[in-house]
Amino acid sequence: MKILVTVKRVTDYERKVKIKPDGSGFETEGMNFVPNPFDEIAVEEALRLTKEHGGDVVVVSIGPNDATQQIRQALAMGAQRGILVQAGELDSDAVARVLQKLVEKENPDLVLMGKQATDDDANQAGQLLAGYLGWPQATFASKTEGLESAEEKAQKPGVKVADGWASVAREADGGIETIKVQLPAVITTDLRLNHPRFASLPGIMKAKKKPIEEIPVASLGVDITPKVRVLKYEEPPARLAGVKVADVDELVNKLKNEAKVI
Amino acid sequence: MSNPLFSDRHVDFLLREVLDLPGLLALPAFVEHSEETCAMYMDACRKVARQVLLPSYGPVDAAAPGLEAGGQVRLHRDMHEAHRTLVELGVLTAARPEAVGGTGLPMLATAASHAYLMAGNLAAYALEGLTTGAARLIESFGDDDLRARFMRKMYDGEWTGTMALTEPQAGSSLSDVATKATPAADGTFRISGTKVFISGGAHDVAENIIHLTLARIEGAPAGIKGVSLFAVPAKREVNGKLVDNDVLCSSVFHKVGWRGLPSVQLSFGDRGECHGWLVGAPHQGIKYMFQMMNEARLMVGLNAVASASVAFHAAIAYAQDRPQGRPLTAKDPTTPQIPIIEHADVRRMLLRQKAIVEGGLALLLECARLTDLSEHHPDPAERKAAFLLLDLLTPIAKTFPAEYGFEANTLAIQIHGGYGYTSEYPVEAWWRDQKLNTIHEGTSGIQGLDLLGRKMVAEGGAGLRDLAGRVTATLAKASQAGLPATLTEPLSAALQAWLQASATLGAKGATGDVDGMLRHSADYMSLASVTVVGWMWLRQAVAATNATDRDLAQGVDAAARYWMATEATKAPALAARIASGEDSYAALDPAWL
Repeated sequence: MKILVTVKRVTDYERKVKIKPDGSGFETEGMNFVPNPFDEIAVEEALRLTKEHGGDVVVVSIGPNDATQQIRQALAMGAQRGILVQAGELDSDAVARVLQKLVEKENPDLVLMGKQATDDDANQAGQLLAGYLGWPQATFASKTEGLESAEEKAQKPGVKVADGWASVAREADGGIETIKVQLPAVITTDLRLNHPRFASLPGIMKAKKKPIEEIPVASLGVDITPKVRVLKYEEPPARLAGVKVADVDELVNKLKNEAKVI
Repeated sequence: MSNPLFSDRHVDFLLREVLDLPGLLALPAFVEHSEETCAMYMDACRKVARQVLLPSYGPVDAAAPGLEAGGQVRLHRDMHEAHRTLVELGVLTAARPEAVGGTGLPMLATAASHAYLMAGNLAAYALEGLTTGAARLIESFGDDDLRARFMRKMYDGEWTGTMALTEPQAGSSLSDVATKATPAADGTFRISGTKVFISGGAHDVAENIIHLTLARIEGAPAGIKGVSLFAVPAKREVNGKLVDNDVLCSSVFHKVGWRGLPSVQLSFGDRGECHGWLVGAPHQGIKYMFQMMNEARLMVGLNAVASASVAFHAAIAYAQDRPQGRPLTAKDPTTPQIPIIEHADVRRMLLRQKAIVEGGLALLLECARLTDLSEHHPDPAERKAAFLLLDLLTPIAKTFPAEYGFEANTLAIQIHGGYGYTSEYPVEAWWRDQKLNTIHEGTSGIQGLDLLGRKMVAEGGAGLRDLAGRVTATLAKASQAGLPATLTEPLSAALQAWLQASATLGAKGATGDVDGMLRHSADYMSLASVTVVGWMWLRQAVAATNATDRDLAQGVDAAARYWMATEATKAPALAARIASGEDSYAALDPAWL
């Protein structure tokens, strides 16, 4: 089976992001970029599925030329080849349209994507892609209840493929629901699905020799006009210090009149 | 609480801006590598260190293994998982050449990446570090048969290795090694004797352990010249099956720190059935071991930096989080308390830790760079110069982080106050770990003797002359970059003081007063340390003048100024004491104590 996996280049969550003084974006100087953690889970799931069923994992990223580093990381984990669509900042809709083109070209049995990227937390591209393709979707793929360790999860995977269908345990309000979707389909991954493997040094050396195809976004003939405009970036307000209340009456009073939540 | 282990931006700054990793990668030996491969390996090590090793550190420290029936030692479950992960990650052969199945990564990139693993869980990393060191002895001095028999499986992570040197009566004094090796008809030897403090000497994470053992062949000359090196497996292969090789773990030491890694007493050949394989030529054991010892000493130095760094970062987080007290000028007790990082003395303790940790890291990574240059520079003269300088810096790079690092770990506890003195916070555990680093792989006393008695005088003082030239060049660069005299003058004076003390003591030695010379080795080590680390800080300050990350640049500037003002200025006083010949301790009668 052939699986297409998306990997977005995002800012390192270990580092503090600084917003430019004019609010037009964030400072990239000294910033480290990493693969979106949700996408690493998608890569891991794709590698697990192809190990079980055979086939190839193709990794796609849309972004600047430097995003080859994030593709390389997925190749170092074990994916077979990569595609970089060279583009600037796109909104979720444009991303979905670009991916639609690639899916038509690559013809995968399954598209695996992180449910969202940790930089903008939009959580839209997977759903939009399924819509444009007219494919079924299973979002927020997760683990079966009660499984914690990597070994347990590997034994009872949240995503199972058989007879042209995928059964997916997904996070829903109040618990896990399992749905079946007919392939080809789009599946987006949540945090608890698996423990992604680390890129090993031998894997990193092998990845150097794996092909990465570079495609300028303009050559795809996709309308990427933004539907979402960014007006301004700003820091969330600083958390205020807490206060101690003398008794329950004061607490109720504050909740009612200051916080206005009851 | 999450802990970054090291400051990523500082490590990246050292690699790129101070130590010129890109320049190193341009050498023909590293044609297979690029900044990208180095960065990807670094990322992988950071992740493993933070996500797998650090969470395992507390549980592993709390459950030190003991001795079970039949000499069994069972390690914590997390040590098993860490071993699997580290082997898979490729740490064992990262810096080994492709010819032996390695990846040939520059030592500079390897050391910087592995520092995170040490900071995450030093016991887990040490098991791999010891294995690489032991396998390397076989790689360097063993023949093809020994490589096939032992080295291959060690580099693959199937078996682990140890260095079995110390005996109850022979610790620092290896010339007193008494373990016996008797030639057998099959070309191997029968080993008998007792070794103590063998780290990783018994465990259950791998099916076999290869002990690189110093022993004396029957009839060998007394002293250092009669000691040979043997590979002694815990289990030997007979008809394709592993059988017991008569190596018994007779006790497990209860250690203050490094509690995840058992240090044990081993009895070889109680039944006369312990087979050992001679590595290299007879009677060359100490020479072989010394070649590896320098590398092992650098590993101890890096470990000391790592144990100080993880505690430093815990202290930063705690100081920002813990409200206590009010500004000295605040009179109103109803105002909220401020985080302790607002207090000047807490900031002083943090800056001191930063100066020690990041100055120490710069020194260890400089040594890693010199290792690469001494092995791989195409010009033989450059290789030689790098080797001599590395040789001079090694005892300092082992001792400074261990001695000053212990102080840094103490300061991390101090910042945590009463809580720091409890096991509720891990700072006390890193402090316990740190203490070993002044002791193993040559005590600080041994390092002082090595620096003054061997390294300083080697090749007519060529290493020291070269170093003086390099420090002078950095001073010139600093002036060109417009750095203030407060940064350059103390280092310039420290360098002069070091050269002067070297001349004074060198003259004593040359006139036959070796005792009189070496009595000053501790002061001499301190003098060398404050100067060399001052050099590291000035190099960083020069590089930081081009840094666009303002927080990084200001942090470097603050630590450099602190170091020059408080530590580099100690150098002239140390030199004066050495010149005065003050050595009242030498004349001490034990009865006076």
